[in-house]
Amino acid sequence: MPQVPSGLRRVASAAVCLLLVGVAAGIAQSPADAPPTDVKTLYDNSCASCHGTDGRGHGPAADALNPKPRDFTRGTFKFRSTASGSLPTDDDLYRAISHGMPGTSMLSWKGILTDDQMRALAVYVKRFSPRFATEQPVPLKATPAVPSSPASIEKGRAAYESLACGACHGDAGGGHDAVASGLQDDWGHEAVAPNLTEPWSFRGGRTAADIYMRLKSGINGTPMPSFADTARDEDLWHVANYVVSLARKPVWEMTADELKDHYARRAAADAASPVQRGRSLVASMACGHCHTPADREGRALPGLAFAGGVRMRLVVWGEVVSANLTSDNETGLGRSSDSDIKRALTHGIKRDGSRMLPFPMGWPAYAHLTPQDQDAIVAYLRTIPAVKNQIPPPARPGALAYLASKFQMLVRGKDFPIVIFAGNAGSAGNPAPSAAAARR
Amino acid sequence: MKRMVKWAVLAVVVLAAFGFVGFLYFVPPLMSTDPQEFINGEAAMAPPVDGIADPAVRALAERGRYVLLTTECTGCHVTPGPQGPLPDMYLAGGRRFTTNTHGVVVSRNLTPDKETGLASRTDDDVKRVLRSGVYPDGRSIPHGAMPWAQFSNWSDEDLHAVVVYLRHVKPVRHAIPPPAAGAADAVIPGAFEIVEGVDAGKK
Repeated sequence: MPQVPSGLRRVASAAVCLLLVGVAAGIAQSPADAPPTDVKTLYDNSCASCHGTDGRGHGPAADALNPKPRDFTRGTFKFRSTASGSLPTDDDLYRAISHGMPGTSMLSWKGILTDDQMRALAVYVKRFSPRFATEQPVPLKATPAVPSSPASIEKGRAAYESLACGACHGDAGGGHDAVASGLQDDWGHEAVAPNLTEPWSFRGGRTAADIYMRLKSGINGTPMPSFADTARDEDLWHVANYVVSLARKPVWEMTADELKDHYARRAAADAASPVQRGRSLVASMACGHCHTPADREGRALPGLAFAGGVRMRLVVWGEVVSANLTSDNETGLGRSSDSDIKRALTHGIKRDGSRMLPFPMGWPAYAHLTPQDQDAIVAYLRTIPAVKNQIPPPARPGALAYLASKFQMLVRGKDFPIVIFAGNAGSAGNPAPSAAAARR
Repeated sequence: MKRMVKWAVLAVVVLAAFGFVGFLYFVPPLMSTDPQEFINGEAAMAPPVDGIADPAVRALAERGRYVLLTTECTGCHVTPGPQGPLPDMYLAGGRRFTTNTHGVVVSRNLTPDKETGLASRTDDDVKRVLRSGVYPDGRSIPHGAMPWAQFSNWSDEDLHAVVVYLRHVKPVRHAIPPPAAGAADAVIPGAFEIVEGVDAGKK
């Protein structure tokens, strides 16, 4: 009986963007400068898949990460105990490694690496930026903490308003999810102002002391300024106490009724910002795995994000090429209606009415997306810049070849694997990777 | 009489031949089956959360089930069988992938089985793999072997819900072999990855 649905179940989705770990180290260093081999090995094994062996923050996993991994070569570090614009101290770097960055892929290495290893890595990453050779960090001194109290929180609320924190973080009093959009950081990525009611995702820590230091140091490279010169120091403590007081319950502490309310509110918030929700869904559902072509080492081909062109051989059914999801009118989804896109996504029926196999495109799973989430995905796909990349139609085998492979499969029980090919099979061809991409 | 028998036999043979070709041609009826059947089949694989007594845990598991189902974790973490993914082996893994970038890997057993699944892993261990691709001993998982970088886009709360759901699927004993060396384009020129349909795990 059919080996098919097993053999070719939509596995291919987990396939295409495989990237090489441990590419040749690209940093030129004089022998005297060369770090002890074991630290370099440790860095290459533990850090390079995101930060890159050259420290540029372009490791093989970096494309899919939000926020992006730190580019060490700039010497711009977000979470410090030093003045705005200044370098971090060794302790700051150590803290980032040992505590991790909550809410991101930067994990806490405590318990995995030894203290000495983490200290050594903190020193090692400084090699990537020349700034550390010429500049000194300017540490900030924390004044004694102001203990939290209703009075302090009230003063903090007033200062939060007068300092216009709400312009980015929303009217936090009732500003659940009311955060600014369209902000950019120095690396050209979208900067999302954190939701201050979700302290478990505060990258730099959730205590009043952590938040006080954020207000004082600012977050280098992002629109978050330092308030060291623009606010009274005591007010920063009040604001920190106020922000701590804004915390809502996380889902893991909620009762069933609270969860019901929470998920309803979540859905309403997602409905209000469909593009943001769609971007997050498309990223986490790994659509780019099949719809962004990659070279044989798994690096995404430049300029072809979501432009399709990944060729897959299903043997019995011939070859299919992933669709161009960009908004190009001729070769992408530009002329497809919303319902065309949703029908393809959830029922495997193309614009011309023809059907897709139930694999490798996982439409039987995507059909379980709520209508609202389907709309969000469409809304996001509409924002992807157009790329002209004509996708060839599926190549079906001849009747005899088809029957022969079916005989092999059904009678002799042969398994035909899905074969996924490197490169772009669409009309845009295979652009050479940029120098930066080649280096990682 | 003899002639009639001859004709009858011939007719049977011809019919059988046509029937066989028809069988080869139409089975399995992937393109003529109502899409809804595939859609229902996908949901049927993911066990419902009704059996969870604690209503708060149930609500979290329901959310986790939604995230897991629509992210299509079953694309890799199924146990392939002769008739398709084995429905009673949900998330027990065993599919083999030959890749250019990280050798031969087999999808892991995500069920809460004591010896072969995730039962001995803490929630934090599982979350660390899903968020950062790092095992408790510090080994990194190539993100192409397991798209953790993509799944890192789940919020902390959705990540938690996924783990809650994983804790409530049926434990299945199914040992998964460790990764091995190999390259797809050594097997098939130009190939980037080869996805097989046989179970590489041990029951």
